[in-house]
Amino acid sequence: MNDPHEIPTLVVEDLCTSFATERGPLQAVDGVSFTLRRGRTLGVVGESGSGKSATARSIMNLLPPGTSATTGRVLLDGRDVRSLSRAESRHVWGVEAAMVFQNPMTSLNPVIPVGRQIGEGLRYHRKLSRAAAGRRARELLEQVGIADPERRLAEYPHQLSGGMRQRVMIAVALACDPKLLIADEPTTALDVTVQKQILDLLDRLRQQRRMAMVLITHDLSVVAGRTDDVIVMYAGRVVEQAPTRQLFSAMRHPYTQALFESIPKVTQPSHTRLRIIQGRPPDLAALGPGCAFAPRCAHAQPRCCRETPPLSGSEGADARHACFYPAGTTVGEAALAANRAAGRTAAGLALAAGAAAGADVA
Amino acid sequence: MAGVGTAQLRPSDEVLLQVTDLYVEHSAGRRRTVRAVSGVSFDVACGETLGLVGESGCGKSSTARAVLQLPRPTSGTVTLDGTDLTTLRGEELRRVRSSLQMIFQDPLASLNPRRRVADIVREGLDIWPDHRCLDADDGGTPAPAADRVRAVLDSVGMDLDEIGGRRPHEFSGGQAQRICIARALMLDPQVLICDEPVSALDVSIQAQILNLLEDLKGLYGLTMLFIAHDLAVVKSVSDRVCVMYLGRICEIGPTEAIFDRPAHPYTDALLASVPQIDAGPAVAGDVLTGDPPSPFDAPTGCRFRTRCPRATERCAEQVPELSEVSAGRFVACHFPLTDEPAHPADDDAAVGHSTTPTSP
Repeated sequence: MNDPHEIPTLVVEDLCTSFATERGPLQAVDGVSFTLRRGRTLGVVGESGSGKSATARSIMNLLPPGTSATTGRVLLDGRDVRSLSRAESRHVWGVEAAMVFQNPMTSLNPVIPVGRQIGEGLRYHRKLSRAAAGRRARELLEQVGIADPERRLAEYPHQLSGGMRQRVMIAVALACDPKLLIADEPTTALDVTVQKQILDLLDRLRQQRRMAMVLITHDLSVVAGRTDDVIVMYAGRVVEQAPTRQLFSAMRHPYTQALFESIPKVTQPSHTRLRIIQGRPPDLAALGPGCAFAPRCAHAQPRCCRETPPLSGSEGADARHACFYPAGTTVGEAALAANRAAGRTAAGLALAAGAAAGADVA
Repeated sequence: MAGVGTAQLRPSDEVLLQVTDLYVEHSAGRRRTVRAVSGVSFDVACGETLGLVGESGCGKSSTARAVLQLPRPTSGTVTLDGTDLTTLRGEELRRVRSSLQMIFQDPLASLNPRRRVADIVREGLDIWPDHRCLDADDGGTPAPAADRVRAVLDSVGMDLDEIGGRRPHEFSGGQAQRICIARALMLDPQVLICDEPVSALDVSIQAQILNLLEDLKGLYGLTMLFIAHDLAVVKSVSDRVCVMYLGRICEIGPTEAIFDRPAHPYTDALLASVPQIDAGPAVAGDVLTGDPPSPFDAPTGCRFRTRCPRATERCAEQVPELSEVSAGRFVACHFPLTDEPAHPADDDAAVGHSTTPTSP
C-alpha cells in the first residue's frame, strides 16, 4: 500500500475562490482541504453550483485572474505551486498536473489534426523533434485504445466519435506523464456503454502510471465503484469527506443521504417513489448565515440557521462531516424526530409525513 | 437486435397509440440517406407508460417526432384512437395534434423568453377554447381560462399569482420544466411524449420531476411515451420498455422482466454498463467495444452484430424479427439470452469477459 512518509501528490489547504459578479462577490469555493496520495483516486461529487469544477479550476490555475480571487495553498509533490513564478509554473500546468474536461469537442482545436495536438505539449515542454513527438503521439493513441492510430493521427476532431474524442483528450493530458490527472465530468456527455469504456481506461492508466486522480462528477454511482475517497460538496463547501466504502455504508450528512436516496436505481422496482430534496439549490450570491443546506434539510434546528457547521470527524477515523445533527447519530435522529413531530423544521421547511419518511413506496 | 416485425402489437382496440412499420429517413446530400428509424412498431395502451431507451443515434427521438408528424415519417402508420395520423392533412391534423403533447429536454430553450408564464401556459386554450372545461361531465359551462391555468399550474406545484407575470429566465431548470409540463397538460392531451425530460436537470431536481410525472399520470390518466438514455430513470417510470439500437427495436416488454432478465445481448450489455452504487468496486472489462456504427451505412442483417459477442454469419444475412420469448416479451435476436439449461456455456461466453475481476 502507501508509505505514510511519502510526500502526497496533491495537498489542498483551505482553498477559497470567489468571483466578482454584478451582485457582489460570489464564494464559489469555500475552505476546501484534502490530501491525495500517489496512485489513488479522489471523487468529488456535487450538483451544479456546488463548486466542484471551480475547485478543479482553482487547483489547475485556470481561472481568469481579473474576475476571480483564489486563496489557500496547493502543494503538488510538496511544492507550493501557487507561489511559483510564471516561468516556473509554465512547466507545471499541463505537464505535472493535467486535466480532462467534460466536452471534448470544445477542448480540442477543430482545425488541427489530433496527432499534432497530442504532440504539441511534448514539443514545447519536452523539446522533442517533430518526428519523435509524432511517434510518441502514436503510442499514446494506442495506449488509450484507439484502433488504427496511424490513420487517426492525421484526422480532425470532427471525424471522430464522442468516445474517441474523449480518448484523444486523455492522450493529450497524459502526453507529458503527469503525476496528477483531474477529470472533470469526463463521461457526462457520453453514452452509458462508452462511459464504462472511458472510466475503465482511466482506471487502467492510473494503475499503470501510478498517477493520482481526481474524478469530478455529479453522479454518486460513478464515484461508488471507482474511487478510494470521496468528498461531497454543497454551496462551495465540503459537507462530507470519507473513504468511499465507509461513505456508502454510513452517510452522515443529511444532504449526502438525501442525494443518494433521490437517485433512481436500476435495482429498485419500477414505479418506486423517489425521495425528493425539497426546495432548490442555493443562490451563492445570497447565502445567509448558517448551514447552506439548512433550508432544504429535514434535520435543521435553530442552531443550523445561525452557525456554519465545521467539517469535523468524531470517530478518530478518516470520515468527516459538516453537520451539527448528522444522520445515524443520536442527536441527528432526535433532531429529525422532533422536526417530524412539529411538522416543520427550524428553517421553516414543511415536512409532509410521506416526504420525510423517505422510502415510501407508491 | 435491430429487428423488424409486428408480432408484438396488441389488438388495435386495446391500445390508444399504435405505430406500425415506421421508417424515418433523411436525405443528407451527396445521395446519402440517414436511416434514423427502420421498421419500428409498438403500441401504448390507455394509461400506460412506454419507455423508449437506447444510446444516442438509436432513433428514439426521431420516433417520437414521427409520432407527432414532425416531420411526417417516410413510411409507416401512426394510429391514435383509431385515426391514422399519417393520412391527415392541414386542419384535420392540427385538430388531432392538440391531443398529443410533448415536453423536451431543455426546458428553458422550449419556452419563449419574451412572454410571461401565464400567457405561455394559456396559449393552447386561446387557440382551442373548447378545452376550457375542467371535467367534461360537469355540465358544460366552460370555466374561465384563468381558472384552468390556475388549476393546471397548481397540479405541477406552482402558484399562478406568484409566477404568472414572470418570464422564463427567472426560473431554474426544474421550475421551467414544471411550466413546460403545465403547458403540455393545458389541453388534456391523450398522449404525453416526454423526450429526455430530466436529463438536463440536477439529481435532486430530477426526482421532483419524476415524482410529479407519476402523480400527474394518476391525476389526469395520462398515457406516456417516455424517452431517456438513463436506464434507471426509464425503469422508474415505465410500465413497458422498448430498447432501441440504430433505428430498430431490440426488445420490448414489461419493465421488470426486461431489467431482471435481458434477453437481447444489447440490453444485457447496456445494463452491465450502468455504474451501480451497491456493487462494490467497478469491474473492468469491455462489455461493448467501440462505438455504434454510423446510421449512414448500418450493417446488413442485425444492426447490432458488429458489436455483438454472439454474432454469427446468420446475423449478417437475416434481419431478426421480433418474436415472443415469454408472455408479452418480444425480442429481435437469432440467439437470445434465454435460460436454456442445455447451453450454459453460451451464456458464459457472451458475458464472461465482462466479469473478470481486476485487482482493485
